[in-house]
Amino acid sequence: MIFQKTKGIQIDGYKEMCKNSPLNEYFNPEFVYIHLLQGNSLLKQIVEVGESVKVGQTIALREGFGAMNIHASISGTITAVKKVWHSSGKMVNALEIKNDFKNILDESIKPSKDIDSLTKEDLIEMMKNAGLSGLGGAGFPTYVKYQTKEDIDTVIINAVECEPYITCDYQFILTYPEKLLKGLTYFMKAAGAKKGVIAYKNYNVKIKKVLQELLPKYDNIELFEMNDVYPAGWEKYIIERVTGKTYQNLPSEVGVIENNSTTAIIFSDIVEHNIPLVSRPVTITGEGINNPMNFYCPIGTKVSELVEKCGGYVDGLNPKTANYIAGGPMTGRAIFIDDLIVNDTLGSVIIKPFKEELHPECLGCGKCAEVCPVYLTPTEIRDAFKNKDLDLINQLNTTKCIQCGLCSYVCPSHIEITDFVIRAKELLRKGAK
Amino acid sequence: MARFAGGKAPFLRLSDQKNQGTNVMMRDFMIGLLPVILFAWYKNGILVYSQGNINFLEMLWPLFFILIGGFSSMIMEAIFFYITDKEARKPKLLMKKLSTSYGIIPGLILALMLPLYTPIWVLLFGCFVANIIGKMIFGGFGYNIFNPALLGYAAIKFGLMGVINTAGGYFNVSELLIDSYAGATPLATLQVTQSLAYNTIVAPFGNLWDFFIGLTPGGMGETGFLVMIFSYIWLSARKVIRWQTPLLFVGAVFGLSWLVGVLNGQAEIWFPTYSILTGGVMFGAVFMITEPVTTPKNPLGKTVFVLFLAVLTVLFRFVGNLPEGVGTSIIVMNIFALPIDKYTAIIRAHRWKKPAIMQICILFGILLVIAVYAVLKAGSLYSLILPLLTIGGGF
Repeated sequence: MIFQKTKGIQIDGYKEMCKNSPLNEYFNPEFVYIHLLQGNSLLKQIVEVGESVKVGQTIALREGFGAMNIHASISGTITAVKKVWHSSGKMVNALEIKNDFKNILDESIKPSKDIDSLTKEDLIEMMKNAGLSGLGGAGFPTYVKYQTKEDIDTVIINAVECEPYITCDYQFILTYPEKLLKGLTYFMKAAGAKKGVIAYKNYNVKIKKVLQELLPKYDNIELFEMNDVYPAGWEKYIIERVTGKTYQNLPSEVGVIENNSTTAIIFSDIVEHNIPLVSRPVTITGEGINNPMNFYCPIGTKVSELVEKCGGYVDGLNPKTANYIAGGPMTGRAIFIDDLIVNDTLGSVIIKPFKEELHPECLGCGKCAEVCPVYLTPTEIRDAFKNKDLDLINQLNTTKCIQCGLCSYVCPSHIEITDFVIRAKELLRKGAK
Repeated sequence: MARFAGGKAPFLRLSDQKNQGTNVMMRDFMIGLLPVILFAWYKNGILVYSQGNINFLEMLWPLFFILIGGFSSMIMEAIFFYITDKEARKPKLLMKKLSTSYGIIPGLILALMLPLYTPIWVLLFGCFVANIIGKMIFGGFGYNIFNPALLGYAAIKFGLMGVINTAGGYFNVSELLIDSYAGATPLATLQVTQSLAYNTIVAPFGNLWDFFIGLTPGGMGETGFLVMIFSYIWLSARKVIRWQTPLLFVGAVFGLSWLVGVLNGQAEIWFPTYSILTGGVMFGAVFMITEPVTTPKNPLGKTVFVLFLAVLTVLFRFVGNLPEGVGTSIIVMNIFALPIDKYTAIIRAHRWKKPAIMQICILFGILLVIAVYAVLKAGSLYSLILPLLTIGGGF
């Protein structure tokens, strides 16, 4: 107990539902909606309503920290600026593009001629121009990670996908294993790293098999098997397991950059064909869906169209006792109206009915404290939050919480304990200002 | 377009699955009590009946006694709900409230701690103190500070022990016929004889194997070490309790008792073994110090709490005049559960690093001081203090 490492527990995967559904390409929706929001910053649109755009054309800019370009994902005409749902649970302005079904590519999209001669700076510039952000769910601009001044010796690809239900990364890797390895090679070059590691979960034998066949062609790349625990896909957890080192704030402190597998696959397209970030894989699943499926679709696609492709909701689904979850079931958000749009951070939509029951009080079993991967004590934080005791919240190191949701998951009394911790964290942030 | 329900992440809950959740935990806890109840019945009823010392109805009495404890506590809680909450007067709501209040458990545990010939009205009084005063007026399940069953037991112990002794005390009929018993229970004998010799404190009750099985005088259910091992394994396997907690407690009492023995010139291993086999150490370890509501919540807090308990148990047992010590030390430590929980939470959050140095020093400083005091006191002044002690009995 004295020398504590990050830890996790095994939770049920529920992945069988759509694990074997191949990646369905869905490239021609009639309308797409490009959110004017990336990460936390609003975007500046640089096209007007009525203009026609091509696939990959820059239509908006993120400015300030993490400045980058955002692209049209289909060719057609900008028809309106509308408020639509974003996976963060808010309504956000978005550019509506009507598809002309001609699929005209922007001039910038052409195969790169001399990949070997690209320098580190060229590659980072490419990430920036292509609008590449972390596709695992955080949406952090990728190039910012590579601008670090620290010496990087390892790039780790996170192919763990530890959240239950989601399978799109898994299918995406199985569809494009070559691209994953190429993407990792380019990442290593951009970071100046000597070693690349692909971390995957031990039950994903197929990934292991596919990648091992291709591995001899690439130098300095290793596979790393992770245990089946949650949160194994957490950056710190992976880095501690792979390198044995731990860090305070950023992975670059220990010479590591970590990227999601989907980001790597998209990056290989960016380097080789100059195709910016215009599409991503999405899983539509849950007990409330007839045929759960994985899709590969343009950013901005309406989720309701994908749900229709899956055969719609199951019969007798009462929306009042079901959750429409954007993201994974452990960290995602409940969306009230089923009018969600695919954006760069949305990896899955889960429709899941629930039962309403009367739950007893907290009995103090301490299971939440036992499972916490960062060794917090949620019950104490909850009490401190109820008393608005900022000092104590601070002493309890609440800001360390990674919001993995395990404390609520294990609670036998069904208490929303994760939410208390998140609110305590917000209170601390507000109080500190 | 449809409007979906809101909710907070995570949307996946262990408690939604089969055989999970608080209700199931409490059910498993009662299943864990079952072997102890059956053993109490066997020892005080069936065994005595088979020796021909009591009649058939008297054989059923121990079982009835325990069940009366359980059900009367539940009924008392129902009455409490009925009086205090007007809404709960509808039968349906009352049932719901009772189903998340788990009133039966304190009554069962209390009955198991009491001697066989406790008058029923004393049991009912204990149940009242346990469930109403110890639990309901604090706000019900989840809010009580003291272990309800122990509070009831303490009330009986300090107020009505004379009534129990007049009514029959600890011995069942078979045990009454054995002449060699000097005190009411093995630990009381230790106090009476003031000796650490095997022949005076163990031999009158048989050998250590008898202690292990639990065929020694004492509270109804607290003597059976063996059956409580089964309960322990069951409860740990079902994850109702942390498996480390009872092990640590019994181990610490063993270690400290051994130290006390060594300081008194009794270095043989039977003495600490005897120490953990008597006085409800195992009963306390499995069913009381693991009680979630009144103990610290985080794992480190539980560990520290248990170490404190072990030290206090030894202190009360060999220094103070409460020979069996477990119950008293748990009640005392219940008061300190909150600060211990807070301090250990801070220590955990900072991973034993500098910001928590004050908490580490305070907690472990106090623990060390009490431990050293207990062992030294019990060691050097043992023979001086014992004559001053009066005979106590029970838990």
